[in-house]
Amino acid sequence: MKTIYKNTAIATLTAILLGTGYSCKDSLNVNPQGEITEAQFITDPNVAANLVGGIYNIFFAGDAFGNDVRGFQYTILGDIASDDADKGSAPSDYGDANAIDILQANGNNPVVNNIWKGYYQAIARTNQALAQLQNAQFDAATKNKLLGEARFLRGMFYFNLVRIFGGVPLLNRVPAASEANAPEFSTRATSQAIYQFIIDDLNFAATNLPVITNTSADVGRASKGAAQALLAKVYLYNKDYQNALAMSQLVISSGTYSLLPDFTTLFRQANNNSRESIFEIQAGQNLACNSSIDRFTVAQGPRAGGKNGWVDRGYGFNNPSLSLVNEYEAGDVRKNATIITVNPSNGANSVGTILFDGFRIPTKDSVENSRYNYKAYYSRTAEPNCGNNDRLPKHVMIIRYAEVLLIHAEAALQSGQAGLATADINALRTRAKVTPIAGIPTLQQIWHERRVEMAMEQDRFFDLVRQDAVQPGRAAAAFAADGKTWNATRALFPIPQQQIDLSGGNLKQNPGY
Amino acid sequence: MKKTFTRIFVLALLCFSAFASFAQNTTVKGKVVDATDKQPLPGVTVKLNGGNIAAQTDGEGNYTISAPANGILVFSYIGYTTLQENINSRTTIDISLSTASAKSLEKVVVVGYGSQRRRDVTGSVGNVSGAELSKQPVQTPTQALQGKVSGVQVIGSGQPNSQPQLRIRGTGSVLGGANPLYVVDGVLTDDIRNINNNDIISIDVLKDASAAIYGVRGANGVVIITTRKGKNGPAVVRYDANAGFRQLSNKVQMANRQQYIDYLKDANPSILTSDAAPLTTPGTTDWYDAVLKKGLQMSHNLSVAGGNEKTTYFFSGGIFKDEGLVKTNDFDRYTFRSNIETKIADNLTFGTQLSLTRSKERPVPLDGVYSNVYRAAPVIPAIDDNGLYGNTSLWGNLGNPLLGLNKTNNQTVNNRVQGNFYLEYKPIKSLTFRTALNTDAYWNKQRNYSYQFNADQSTFNVAGGQQFNPFSSLFVQNDQFFTTIWDNTVTYQQTFNKHSLTLLGGYIQEYSKSDFFNGRRRGVPESEDTWYLNTGNPEVGAEYFNGGTLFKRISYVGRVNYNYDGRYLFSASIRADGSSRFREKFGYFPTVGAGWVISQESFLKNSKIISNLKLRASWGLLGNDNIDQGLFVVTATPNLPYFFNNSLNLGTAVQDIKDPNLKWERTEQYDFGLEYGLFNNKLTGEIDYYNKKVRDALTQVTLPAFLGDPDGIYVTNAASYQNKGVEFSAKWSDKVGKFGYSVGGNISYNKNTVIGLNGGQALLGGGIGNQGNITRTDNGQPIASYYVLQQTGIFQNQAQINAAPTYNLNGYNKTIGGMMFADVNGDGVISADDRTFSGSYQPKYYGGFNIGLDYGSWDFSTDFYGNWGNKIYNGRKAFRANGSDNVQADYVTNRWTPANASNIDPQVIAQNLPASTYFIESGAFLRLNNLTLGYTLPAELLKRMKINKIRVYATSQNLFTAKRYSGFTPELLPSSILSSGVDLNGYPTTRTFAVGLNVEF
Repeated sequence: MKTIYKNTAIATLTAILLGTGYSCKDSLNVNPQGEITEAQFITDPNVAANLVGGIYNIFFAGDAFGNDVRGFQYTILGDIASDDADKGSAPSDYGDANAIDILQANGNNPVVNNIWKGYYQAIARTNQALAQLQNAQFDAATKNKLLGEARFLRGMFYFNLVRIFGGVPLLNRVPAASEANAPEFSTRATSQAIYQFIIDDLNFAATNLPVITNTSADVGRASKGAAQALLAKVYLYNKDYQNALAMSQLVISSGTYSLLPDFTTLFRQANNNSRESIFEIQAGQNLACNSSIDRFTVAQGPRAGGKNGWVDRGYGFNNPSLSLVNEYEAGDVRKNATIITVNPSNGANSVGTILFDGFRIPTKDSVENSRYNYKAYYSRTAEPNCGNNDRLPKHVMIIRYAEVLLIHAEAALQSGQAGLATADINALRTRAKVTPIAGIPTLQQIWHERRVEMAMEQDRFFDLVRQDAVQPGRAAAAFAADGKTWNATRALFPIPQQQIDLSGGNLKQNPGY
Repeated sequence: MKKTFTRIFVLALLCFSAFASFAQNTTVKGKVVDATDKQPLPGVTVKLNGGNIAAQTDGEGNYTISAPANGILVFSYIGYTTLQENINSRTTIDISLSTASAKSLEKVVVVGYGSQRRRDVTGSVGNVSGAELSKQPVQTPTQALQGKVSGVQVIGSGQPNSQPQLRIRGTGSVLGGANPLYVVDGVLTDDIRNINNNDIISIDVLKDASAAIYGVRGANGVVIITTRKGKNGPAVVRYDANAGFRQLSNKVQMANRQQYIDYLKDANPSILTSDAAPLTTPGTTDWYDAVLKKGLQMSHNLSVAGGNEKTTYFFSGGIFKDEGLVKTNDFDRYTFRSNIETKIADNLTFGTQLSLTRSKERPVPLDGVYSNVYRAAPVIPAIDDNGLYGNTSLWGNLGNPLLGLNKTNNQTVNNRVQGNFYLEYKPIKSLTFRTALNTDAYWNKQRNYSYQFNADQSTFNVAGGQQFNPFSSLFVQNDQFFTTIWDNTVTYQQTFNKHSLTLLGGYIQEYSKSDFFNGRRRGVPESEDTWYLNTGNPEVGAEYFNGGTLFKRISYVGRVNYNYDGRYLFSASIRADGSSRFREKFGYFPTVGAGWVISQESFLKNSKIISNLKLRASWGLLGNDNIDQGLFVVTATPNLPYFFNNSLNLGTAVQDIKDPNLKWERTEQYDFGLEYGLFNNKLTGEIDYYNKKVRDALTQVTLPAFLGDPDGIYVTNAASYQNKGVEFSAKWSDKVGKFGYSVGGNISYNKNTVIGLNGGQALLGGGIGNQGNITRTDNGQPIASYYVLQQTGIFQNQAQINAAPTYNLNGYNKTIGGMMFADVNGDGVISADDRTFSGSYQPKYYGGFNIGLDYGSWDFSTDFYGNWGNKIYNGRKAFRANGSDNVQADYVTNRWTPANASNIDPQVIAQNLPASTYFIESGAFLRLNNLTLGYTLPAELLKRMKINKIRVYATSQNLFTAKRYSGFTPELLPSSILSSGVDLNGYPTTRTFAVGLNVEF
């Protein structure tokens, strides 16, 4: 009996010693559970295609009040800061957006930091994809198409950054975490260098991307037409009217695109990816209900629920300004398709405002604001959604055929081929049910047409600054008409102070901030 | 069975005395009981001093010994102070043996992978006996530790099943966790809510570098819990029970109807004109009365302990119930324990210590529903006689909190198995091999159901508003957690001449895996029988998630303890810890300690005053690896949705920036201590000085945006913190005739400072609505210091406004009756740049004191706990959800009005009121923690009923609190370390009244 115990004990001790003997190093190498490590991921043959798909998702990655690329934060810069719109909502709500509205924001304003962070995250995703594409085992055509998509998106990201901030740090590769303090990445390139980089990216995309019609299986992806249209716009911003004209002419001549006959339904779900659309953000309904821009619609939705701040359809930000209302000619159908007007009370006969889906906004005495953005509206009843009102699957238009016509008209006028402009402008006016202009349009007429056609599409601020470079004094006058004081230092937004601090001072603030 | 044992015992004793009775001996009889709880002690050795005669007490604590009439009897028992008693010709000598830790230098202290006599310990180790813990009607041993040990701060909460936070010698970490490691019978864990207080024999707290024996997990100190074991003797059955109720101990009085309306006239006049209905209907609602209740609390525990020479056993079962204070809140816990040890052979012991716990909780959502109670408008009824709720949101107020509670039904069920199997082999007397397989496994089931309801007249007394839930929803989560720890140690213990040496070597392997699966669906019917995912809508709003963690550790430990003549003590240990949480796996954690027992020196040995005096010092390095697994591994984010041609495309991104060189936090700690015992150890205590520096503390560092990290922060080793302080404890205990008494106390001073951020940014925390982050952890300041504007007064007139600097405060402007702030940087503008550090929640001093009295059959005890020198940010007051929020009644009385020229309280507290010292209040308090009065029934009476003991008692926990803070309680369980002291939605403190019963057969 005793020997059995002894043997048991000896066996136990041996086991202990063996236990200590086996290789510890390997057994302590544990991967995170339920996550795909970079090392595992890059062995996937579809890695590059997946990463390119991941870039598009950046539009949905942010937060209405956080990092953003083309959602509500961008709306604050493109619309609210401009003469087209006011901050809206309850007066005390969102002072940071108000500071942008009245052109008094500084580098500590979170909106500019949210945009900066959103875009650099987008650029990081793009550069990751491009880095993997270099090693990808695709046939040349597939590879160039994916490269083209990534470079189109990167060009677009930098185009928005340079319009918002001017010259910014130029990254064309993925920095390592250890390079967090490298001056290379925190020093601003000139805006010329950024524009050259954008033009290179978009030219590559225009050359290598296929034509995609609105019935193609690739609808939603960057296409040859999208690259050409955006390139035309970039040339316009650089006053390179020859190239702007040539590029916009290529889009027009391609025959891929045309105006949707009825402007008033252009921004409804039924006309997603219409023939007028050249590049638009493709929201949709998935089970997780996260394939759309966070609260893009809700933030701008009518604050229509009556007294005491009941929000109902939305928070009521981004109200079309009186200056914009006044810009419309009588009978222009674009006015009521762009602006939701909250009607005043008419006693017992009050009807309020009935939207296209039958939703009734009460009269002004019980609604916070007077006007709302119809182009950002998405019906909860007449248009499908996946049940989360913060994630209504609203498509957001980035570039459409009407804008190409406007670019074409302006570039034609400026490059001495003004005769070409008439057809462009009258195509838009006819659709809008206003009298076509006789003869050659003036620059003012083209800009008027641009404003009413493109109002509340987050482009006005940048366009006005561009116009001011063509015709100094233009922006200050337009802002003055909206009750704001503008000067040349307000052509650009402030560089986020947090990023300046994190750069150890390498990143320099824009003048005037 | 019991009788047989007794017979064998008596027989053995008779044999013994037969051999010993040479001289003119008398037979001495008596009973040995525990001095504290008066329970009989079986197995006590009763020995004639200087002779060979010895006996043991039986199951009822009775002994019989034959000894010379002028002899001296020595009573000794492990864990108790040895007592000598002159026989003086008596034939009956009853003895009480005392466990009081300070008194019992022979007491064994558990120090990790072994134990030592208290007098030989070179580290700072606090000790609390199980009896101290189990007399309090609280759920967790952690809560019961409050005020008992110097240097140990316990932040508790009245919320059922909440886990109290423990800070041993200050807060030493922000990300790595600041709670200590718990070791329950060798099982390393972070959560001891499964342990029944009645099963604990003692708790030892390793406060200094002696915790380095637990290496990479020792940085915040170690709490070692030892559960009861059986003793050689007949079965002892104990039944301990108490039952009582909990009530709100300190209510914050909110403004009533008239006060609220008066306030709104200034704060939000438009609301008073817009809808008159709630203003014309009379009645005022006290929302705290509407939402709180008196809760039942009770516990029942039954245990059996006993054994023979080969096998000892301890079995117990317990029920604990706590209904809490908030309506719908409820908690039940069932515990089972089986501790068995058997000698397979003389030198081979096998044992197991197993506990099984099942708990069932119906929690209340504190941050959403409960926090609304503070702001709910008193002009709206909570619920009417027809069961229809008052429509608070229609009034522009928050949702009706009572409705919120009643329309959710959440339940968490937790099953946990914790314990070990061990084998001990002693080939020779001085050598012990021990191997133990410890395991901790739990299965959690969470089920949250939200009822569907509309903002119509089937729910509310008036239709409308924003409080509605268009779809019922069900969330279900199953968690599994499994850890095994395999300990293997060799201990060599030898005494030769005056040298005593103990060597320990060990190898430990740990494996821990957890995973969860959860799902969410809408449209699940109302009947509880249907609350499974299948009954919900699979098409819309359905979600499923699954994830897990895995980590491993491998450790080697070595320790040497040496003492010469009980006078000079030395110890050193090293632990090599390998952790899978870091790329560089292994870290080394050494410690050394030395002690000098001065009272053993010849010049003090015969001192009448000094009975014990020991100086000790220790140094060591400790680690903290309490962060998520895989923080240094770059991962891809898959399944990023986008649509092409209206069909879903799932993309991927590689975007989270990770620090590939991540390592554990390193803590270096010095400790110098003095232990003293005076007047025959009637007065005992300790004084300690410590200095603890944490380096490479894990910190979230903000990254420049160009790296593309989505949240722009990553975890790296950047900060350094220091805690230094002094601890003092003293206890006087004595017995005068039948009257025994003890008075004890402890006080600790701690200074916490951030001593480096390694170029990183100050850490921000404590977010309050529009006020933003109000705490900042920055160089030279305590962790989570408030960083706010300084209020200098209230604007009384226009002249003061004209003279004051410009305000640039996010829309808060100068008004008469508004806040006046200091222009700290002197730039003529009051802005966020004028914020300054304004104290923190970390107390300068904390401690407790206790009094114990017993007279004959009566016993009385009470203890107090308090802290001083800390501040609380009254976040409830500061957080305004909207202009119709209610305010406190005292504020309405004191606020500035043209008739009441207050210089402290502004006329209104609006949403845009910036964070300032106005909301900072003193956190000092002194609380009567426990008061107990007990009566033990006379033994003669019970003997006939074959009962050893019956004690009845009445107890109250948290009878009263003396405090300056105007909120519910100054004891705030932080949601995170960086928001410590920010009072947003703390559970109200409870006062418990209970009666109890201890019965022993």
